[in-house]
Amino acid sequence: MALNREDVERLAALSRLSLSEEESKRMEQTLDPILDYVGRLSKIDTTGVPETEATPVPPERLRADEPMSVDPAFRRAALSNFPDRQGDLLRVPGVFEHPKG
Amino acid sequence: MKHLLDHTIRSAADGLDAGAFSSVELTKAYLQQIRGLDMALHAYLDVFEGTALDFAHASDERRASGASRGVLDGVPIAVKDNILISGHRATAGSKILETYEATYDATVTKKLKDAGAVFLGKTNMDEFAMGSSTEHSAFGPTKNPHDHARVPGGSSGGSAVAVAADMCVAALGSDTGGSIRQPAAFCGIVGFKPSYGRVSREGLMAMASSLDQIGPMTKTVEDAALLFGAIHGVDPHDQTTVDGGPVETTLPARLEGVKVGVPRQAWRGDGMTPGVRAQTENALAVMKALGATLVEIDLPYTDDALAVYYVLMPCEVSANLARFDGMRYGRREPAETLIKTYEKSRGLGLGEEARRRIMLGTYALSQGYYDAYYRQARKVRTLIRRAYRKAFEDVDLIATPTTPSIAFALGEKLSDPLALYLEDVFTVGANVAGLPAISVPCGLDDGLPVGFQLVGPSMADAAVLDAAHAFEQAMT
Repeated sequence: MALNREDVERLAALSRLSLSEEESKRMEQTLDPILDYVGRLSKIDTTGVPETEATPVPPERLRADEPMSVDPAFRRAALSNFPDRQGDLLRVPGVFEHPKG
Repeated sequence: MKHLLDHTIRSAADGLDAGAFSSVELTKAYLQQIRGLDMALHAYLDVFEGTALDFAHASDERRASGASRGVLDGVPIAVKDNILISGHRATAGSKILETYEATYDATVTKKLKDAGAVFLGKTNMDEFAMGSSTEHSAFGPTKNPHDHARVPGGSSGGSAVAVAADMCVAALGSDTGGSIRQPAAFCGIVGFKPSYGRVSREGLMAMASSLDQIGPMTKTVEDAALLFGAIHGVDPHDQTTVDGGPVETTLPARLEGVKVGVPRQAWRGDGMTPGVRAQTENALAVMKALGATLVEIDLPYTDDALAVYYVLMPCEVSANLARFDGMRYGRREPAETLIKTYEKSRGLGLGEEARRRIMLGTYALSQGYYDAYYRQARKVRTLIRRAYRKAFEDVDLIATPTTPSIAFALGEKLSDPLALYLEDVFTVGANVAGLPAISVPCGLDDGLPVGFQLVGPSMADAAVLDAAHAFEQAMT
């Protein structure tokens, strides 16, 4: 397994992460040995082995998906954690990069 | 009389009940100790000077009116910074959450509040619990109290140091691959990772959801049992919690009839330093002298557990940390477009190790690699679980060192992430298989603590605590 600079940049883009020039170089150098190490798993025969033997959570154990009221302190705290707001609304950058008109 | 800073949960509770001192006196003593030592050790990210004393006053009033809530009422404890306490900052050691304030209590927080515990503050940690040295905290490293030039281990390094340096009576940590047990070993305290599902993860910032577990970090095994007894239980807010029943520890003095497996794969060769080998082999001899039967066992896939861990954990990390995008909370770095805002907020807000693991996970989950890495790692995890199940048909517990070496120097492994990952070789198995595991101090090598690890079958948390207690008593 050999990751080149292009792979690192593609991974950073997929991960929504910016990297400095220095950091890209270090990622290239450090990701490779890790992938090499975990590559040992490919040598293990897993024919017929399931990914999990755990029993799934029965639907009756799931909490009902219902709106509930929150106390004012919780609401205030959640609002104060917004990075940017307009009144009680969360302000975010536009989703479309070139909105029409 | 015992010095106020020497107390365990048990002895503090006895002293409080007997009126030998008040919770306010006890809390003040710990706050004073924090003021004196934390500049040098940096165990805490936030200290709750005001609210801690409010909690302590309330506790003293309850006790005076005969309404004590039990053994934890009025006992000062510390909490790792990835566990939410409503109204207090929760950074998880990350710049991206530098100003984030918890909006609700984690289930463990709620349970400890109900039990009357006094929160002294939040402890330092590797960013989002990713690391084995606490050097990956965005707010600077924590130092080992036994030697300030060495790491305390991680990721729950702040909690381990707070306990070891008498800056709290006990603490909570979280353990995804060894993050409670390894710092406990490096700092010479007790660290217990419960069976997966015994303690609710509601309000614990998720790192790798199939592996994370909250647990106690304490001065004694009895304290670990007491704290575990207070925080365990089914929680409707965490569907992975299971009813393991009450924690029925007997804290015996002897271990007659207990069969302890000694896995060849872990003990053979040069997998540990000579100093660690000497202390942990002596620990096995102590177990034997206590009446336990030692059985050499075969535990296949011991080394592969680390590789499984370093595939599954980053995959889950890449998904769990997707929420830190600078939109609804945390740091936002405005840029020309939405996608550049994400990239910049995460690029500047998340440290290099967090980003490395996100990228590893993204790689292992991407098209063309998913089967070879993620799916294959899940299958090998099944084989590992089966191997443990088979081993536990013949033995009650499995014993290994907690770590291959004693605490290493600050900076020693910073530039070589793989070397740091190899630190986790003895601890990750219990996470991958969801088993209870404890690290207890077993002596010193070169003046620094060595940890002895006992692992039990799923839900046999009490058996692990019992054996560790007998061992600890024999060592003191």
